[in-house]
Amino acid sequence: MDGGILWLAVANVVVWTGIFLYLLRLGRKLEEKEKQR
Amino acid sequence: MNRLLPWVLWLWICAVIVGAFLEPTRPGQGFIGETGRILYFHVPMAWAAFVAFVAAGVWSLRYLFGGRQTRHDRAAAVAVELGLLFCVLATLSGAIWARVQWGAFWNWDPRQIWITVALLFYGAYLALRGAVEDGETRARLAAAYAVLGLVVAPFLFFVLPRLAAFSLHPEPVLNAEGKIDMEPAMLLVLVAGAAGFTAVFFWMHRLQCRIVAWREGA
Repeated sequence: MDGGILWLAVANVVVWTGIFLYLLRLGRKLEEKEKQR
Repeated sequence: MNRLLPWVLWLWICAVIVGAFLEPTRPGQGFIGETGRILYFHVPMAWAAFVAFVAAGVWSLRYLFGGRQTRHDRAAAVAVELGLLFCVLATLSGAIWARVQWGAFWNWDPRQIWITVALLFYGAYLALRGAVEDGETRARLAAAYAVLGLVVAPFLFFVLPRLAAFSLHPEPVLNAEGKIDMEPAMLLVLVAGAAGFTAVFFWMHRLQCRIVAWREGA
Protein backbone atom coordinates (compact mmCIF):
# COMPACT_ATOMS: atom_id res chain seq x y z
CA MET A 1 0.00 0.00 0.00
CA ASP A 2 1.71 3.23 -1.06
CA GLY A 3 1.47 6.53 0.81
CA GLY A 4 -1.43 8.09 -1.11
CA ILE A 5 -3.61 5.01 -0.90
CA LEU A 6 -2.83 4.61 2.80
CA TRP A 7 -3.94 8.18 3.49
CA LEU A 8 -7.14 7.60 1.55
CA ALA A 9 -7.84 4.46 3.57
CA VAL A 10 -7.20 6.34 6.83
CA ALA A 11 -9.46 9.22 5.71
CA ASN A 12 -12.21 6.70 4.91
CA VAL A 13 -11.90 5.04 8.33
CA VAL A 14 -12.02 8.47 10.04
CA VAL A 15 -15.14 9.52 8.09
CA TRP A 16 -16.91 6.23 8.80
CA THR A 17 -15.98 6.41 12.48
CA GLY A 18 -17.52 9.89 12.58
CA ILE A 19 -20.72 8.61 10.98
CA PHE A 20 -20.90 5.69 13.43
CA LEU A 21 -20.32 7.86 16.48
CA TYR A 22 -23.00 10.29 15.26
CA LEU A 23 -25.52 7.46 14.76
CA LEU A 24 -24.68 5.97 18.17
CA ARG A 25 -25.17 9.35 19.84
CA LEU A 26 -28.44 9.83 17.97
CA GLY A 27 -29.64 6.41 19.20
CA ARG A 28 -28.77 7.26 22.80
CA LYS A 29 -30.50 10.65 22.62
CA LEU A 30 -33.59 9.03 21.15
CA GLU A 31 -33.64 6.47 23.95
CA GLU A 32 -33.55 9.27 26.53
CA LYS A 33 -36.36 11.17 24.81
CA GLU A 34 -38.47 8.01 24.53
CA LYS A 35 -37.94 7.28 28.23
CA GLN A 36 -38.91 10.86 29.17
CA ARG A 37 -42.17 10.41 27.28
CA MET B 1 -26.32 -7.49 22.21
CA ASN B 2 -27.96 -4.41 20.70
CA ARG B 3 -25.13 -2.26 22.05
CA LEU B 4 -22.54 -4.53 20.49
CA LEU B 5 -24.01 -4.68 16.97
CA PRO B 6 -23.03 -1.14 15.86
CA TRP B 7 -19.42 -1.85 16.85
CA VAL B 8 -19.43 -5.13 14.96
CA LEU B 9 -20.74 -3.19 11.97
CA TRP B 10 -18.03 -0.55 12.44
CA LEU B 11 -15.35 -3.25 12.45
CA TRP B 12 -16.96 -4.81 9.38
CA ILE B 13 -16.91 -1.51 7.44
CA CYS B 14 -13.31 -0.86 8.52
CA ALA B 15 -12.38 -4.32 7.21
CA VAL B 16 -14.11 -3.49 3.92
CA ILE B 17 -12.15 -0.21 3.68
CA VAL B 18 -8.86 -1.96 4.39
CA GLY B 19 -9.76 -4.67 1.86
CA ALA B 20 -10.78 -2.09 -0.74
CA PHE B 21 -7.47 -0.27 -0.47
CA LEU B 22 -5.25 -3.35 0.03
CA GLU B 23 -6.74 -5.25 -2.90
CA PRO B 24 -4.26 -4.83 -5.76
CA THR B 25 -5.57 -3.16 -8.92
CA ARG B 26 -4.82 -5.35 -11.87
CA PRO B 27 -3.84 -4.22 -15.32
CA GLY B 28 -6.28 -5.16 -18.04
CA GLN B 29 -9.41 -4.31 -16.07
CA GLY B 30 -9.78 -1.07 -17.97
CA PHE B 31 -9.52 1.24 -14.95
CA ILE B 32 -7.26 4.28 -14.97
CA GLY B 33 -4.74 3.98 -12.12
CA GLU B 34 -6.39 3.36 -8.76
CA THR B 35 -9.83 4.64 -9.79
CA GLY B 36 -11.26 1.12 -9.89
CA ARG B 37 -11.30 1.09 -6.08
CA ILE B 38 -14.44 3.25 -6.16
CA LEU B 39 -16.19 0.02 -7.20
CA TYR B 40 -16.09 -1.18 -3.57
CA PHE B 41 -18.17 1.79 -2.43
CA HIS B 42 -20.17 2.81 -5.52
CA VAL B 43 -21.72 -0.63 -6.17
CA PRO B 44 -22.66 -1.27 -2.49
CA MET B 45 -24.32 2.19 -2.37
CA ALA B 46 -26.41 1.36 -5.45
CA TRP B 47 -27.20 -2.04 -3.91
CA ALA B 48 -28.30 -0.42 -0.62
CA ALA B 49 -30.57 1.92 -2.62
CA PHE B 50 -32.15 -1.09 -4.35
CA VAL B 51 -32.63 -2.91 -1.02
CA ALA B 52 -34.24 0.24 0.40
CA PHE B 53 -36.70 0.51 -2.49
CA VAL B 54 -37.62 -3.17 -2.24
CA ALA B 55 -38.00 -2.82 1.55
CA ALA B 56 -40.33 0.16 0.95
CA GLY B 57 -42.45 -2.04 -1.32
CA VAL B 58 -42.57 -4.84 1.25
CA TRP B 59 -43.56 -2.46 4.07
CA SER B 60 -46.20 -0.99 1.77
CA LEU B 61 -47.62 -4.46 1.13
CA ARG B 62 -47.70 -4.98 4.88
CA TYR B 63 -49.54 -1.67 5.24
CA LEU B 64 -52.11 -2.54 2.59
CA PHE B 65 -52.73 -6.12 3.69
CA GLY B 66 -51.65 -6.08 7.33
CA GLY B 67 -54.31 -3.97 8.99
CA ARG B 68 -53.30 -0.50 7.72
CA GLN B 69 -50.85 0.16 10.54
CA THR B 70 -49.23 3.61 10.53
CA ARG B 71 -45.83 2.17 11.49
CA HIS B 72 -45.71 0.23 8.22
CA ASP B 73 -46.53 3.35 6.19
CA ARG B 74 -43.87 5.26 8.14
CA ALA B 75 -41.31 2.51 7.55
CA ALA B 76 -42.00 2.56 3.79
CA ALA B 77 -41.65 6.35 3.56
CA VAL B 78 -38.39 6.33 5.53
CA ALA B 79 -37.05 3.49 3.35
CA VAL B 80 -37.72 5.54 0.20
CA GLU B 81 -36.01 8.61 1.71
CA LEU B 82 -32.92 6.60 2.62
CA GLY B 83 -33.02 4.78 -0.72
CA LEU B 84 -32.91 8.14 -2.46
CA LEU B 85 -29.95 9.17 -0.30
CA PHE B 86 -28.00 6.03 -1.27
CA CYS B 87 -29.11 6.43 -4.89
CA VAL B 88 -27.81 10.03 -5.00
CA LEU B 89 -24.52 8.94 -3.42
CA ALA B 90 -24.16 6.13 -5.98
CA THR B 91 -24.92 8.55 -8.82
CA LEU B 92 -22.44 11.16 -7.55
CA SER B 93 -19.65 8.65 -6.91
CA GLY B 94 -20.28 7.18 -10.36
CA ALA B 95 -20.18 10.64 -11.97
CA ILE B 96 -16.87 11.48 -10.26
CA TRP B 97 -15.40 8.20 -11.50
CA ALA B 98 -16.85 8.83 -15.00
CA ARG B 99 -15.10 12.24 -15.08
CA VAL B 100 -11.73 10.53 -14.59
CA GLN B 101 -12.41 7.41 -16.65
CA TRP B 102 -14.56 8.72 -19.51
CA GLY B 103 -13.69 12.43 -19.43
CA ALA B 104 -17.12 13.80 -18.45
CA PHE B 105 -19.40 13.59 -15.43
CA TRP B 106 -22.38 12.70 -17.61
CA ASN B 107 -22.11 10.42 -20.65
CA TRP B 108 -25.68 9.24 -21.33
CA ASP B 109 -24.55 5.76 -20.40
CA PRO B 110 -27.54 3.39 -19.93
CA ARG B 111 -26.76 2.90 -16.24
CA GLN B 112 -26.56 6.66 -15.67
CA ILE B 113 -29.89 7.11 -17.42
CA TRP B 114 -31.74 4.32 -15.58
CA ILE B 115 -30.47 5.34 -12.15
CA THR B 116 -31.71 8.86 -12.91
CA VAL B 117 -35.09 7.40 -13.86
CA ALA B 118 -35.05 5.53 -10.52
CA LEU B 119 -34.32 8.81 -8.72
CA LEU B 120 -37.23 10.48 -10.52
CA PHE B 121 -39.57 7.54 -9.87
CA TYR B 122 -38.93 7.56 -6.12
CA GLY B 123 -38.74 11.36 -6.02
CA ALA B 124 -42.30 11.24 -7.36
CA TYR B 125 -43.22 8.97 -4.41
CA LEU B 126 -42.22 11.74 -2.01
CA ALA B 127 -44.01 14.35 -4.16
CA LEU B 128 -47.13 12.17 -4.03
CA ARG B 129 -46.92 11.99 -0.25
CA GLY B 130 -46.48 15.74 -0.07
CA ALA B 131 -49.46 16.40 -2.34
CA VAL B 132 -52.14 14.49 -0.38
CA GLU B 133 -53.32 16.04 2.86
CA ASP B 134 -55.51 13.31 4.28
CA GLY B 135 -53.23 10.90 6.17
CA GLU B 136 -55.08 7.69 5.34
CA THR B 137 -55.48 8.50 1.64
CA ARG B 138 -51.82 9.51 1.47
CA ALA B 139 -50.69 6.26 3.08
CA ARG B 140 -52.90 4.15 0.78
CA LEU B 141 -51.82 5.90 -2.45
CA ALA B 142 -48.16 5.93 -1.45
CA ALA B 143 -48.31 2.24 -0.55
CA ALA B 144 -49.82 1.37 -3.94
CA TYR B 145 -47.09 3.40 -5.66
CA ALA B 146 -44.31 1.71 -3.65
CA VAL B 147 -45.77 -1.72 -4.48
CA LEU B 148 -45.59 -0.73 -8.16
CA GLY B 149 -41.93 0.07 -7.42
CA LEU B 150 -41.40 -3.62 -6.54
CA VAL B 151 -41.86 -4.32 -10.25
CA VAL B 152 -40.17 -1.17 -11.58
CA ALA B 153 -36.99 -1.14 -9.42
CA PRO B 154 -35.58 -4.55 -10.54
CA PHE B 155 -36.07 -3.45 -14.15
CA LEU B 156 -34.31 -0.11 -13.60
CA PHE B 157 -31.41 -1.56 -11.63
CA PHE B 158 -30.82 -4.92 -13.29
CA VAL B 159 -32.78 -5.58 -16.48
CA LEU B 160 -32.78 -2.39 -18.57
CA PRO B 161 -29.03 -1.58 -18.20
CA ARG B 162 -28.26 -5.11 -19.46
CA LEU B 163 -30.53 -4.78 -22.48
CA ALA B 164 -28.58 -1.83 -23.90
CA ALA B 165 -26.64 -2.68 -27.05
CA PHE B 166 -23.72 -0.48 -25.99
CA SER B 167 -22.53 0.73 -22.61
CA LEU B 168 -19.38 2.47 -21.44
CA HIS B 169 -19.98 1.00 -18.02
CA PRO B 170 -17.75 -1.88 -16.88
CA GLU B 171 -19.33 -5.32 -17.04
CA PRO B 172 -21.72 -5.79 -14.09
CA VAL B 173 -20.77 -8.23 -11.33
CA LEU B 174 -23.42 -10.63 -12.60
CA ASN B 175 -23.06 -10.25 -16.35
CA ALA B 176 -25.69 -10.54 -19.10
CA GLU B 177 -24.95 -14.29 -19.39
CA GLY B 178 -25.77 -14.67 -15.70
CA LYS B 179 -22.13 -15.42 -14.77
CA ILE B 180 -19.87 -13.78 -12.21
CA ASP B 181 -16.67 -12.74 -13.92
CA MET B 182 -14.52 -11.25 -11.15
CA GLU B 183 -11.41 -12.14 -9.15
CA PRO B 184 -12.49 -13.96 -5.93
CA ALA B 185 -10.67 -11.42 -3.70
CA MET B 186 -12.40 -8.49 -5.41
CA LEU B 187 -15.74 -10.24 -5.18
CA LEU B 188 -15.24 -10.92 -1.47
CA VAL B 189 -14.59 -7.23 -0.69
CA LEU B 190 -17.49 -6.17 -2.90
CA VAL B 191 -19.98 -8.57 -1.31
CA ALA B 192 -18.76 -7.64 2.19
CA GLY B 193 -19.21 -3.96 1.25
CA ALA B 194 -22.73 -4.60 -0.02
CA ALA B 195 -23.61 -6.47 3.19
CA GLY B 196 -22.12 -3.65 5.31
CA PHE B 197 -23.98 -0.90 3.46
CA THR B 198 -27.22 -2.89 3.71
CA ALA B 199 -26.73 -3.17 7.48
CA VAL B 200 -26.01 0.57 7.71
CA PHE B 201 -29.24 1.22 5.79
CA PHE B 202 -31.31 -0.86 8.23
CA TRP B 203 -29.65 0.82 11.22
CA MET B 204 -30.33 4.31 9.82
CA HIS B 205 -33.86 3.21 8.93
CA ARG B 206 -34.61 2.09 12.47
CA LEU B 207 -33.29 5.35 13.90
CA GLN B 208 -35.21 7.52 11.44
CA CYS B 209 -38.46 5.58 12.04
CA ARG B 210 -38.06 6.18 15.78
CA ILE B 211 -37.42 9.89 15.17
CA VAL B 212 -40.53 10.25 12.99
CA ALA B 213 -42.63 8.25 15.48
CA TRP B 214 -41.37 10.44 18.33
CA ARG B 215 -42.20 13.61 16.37
CA GLU B 216 -45.69 12.30 15.61
CA GLY B 217 -46.14 11.41 19.26
CA ALA B 218 -46.70 7.74 18.47
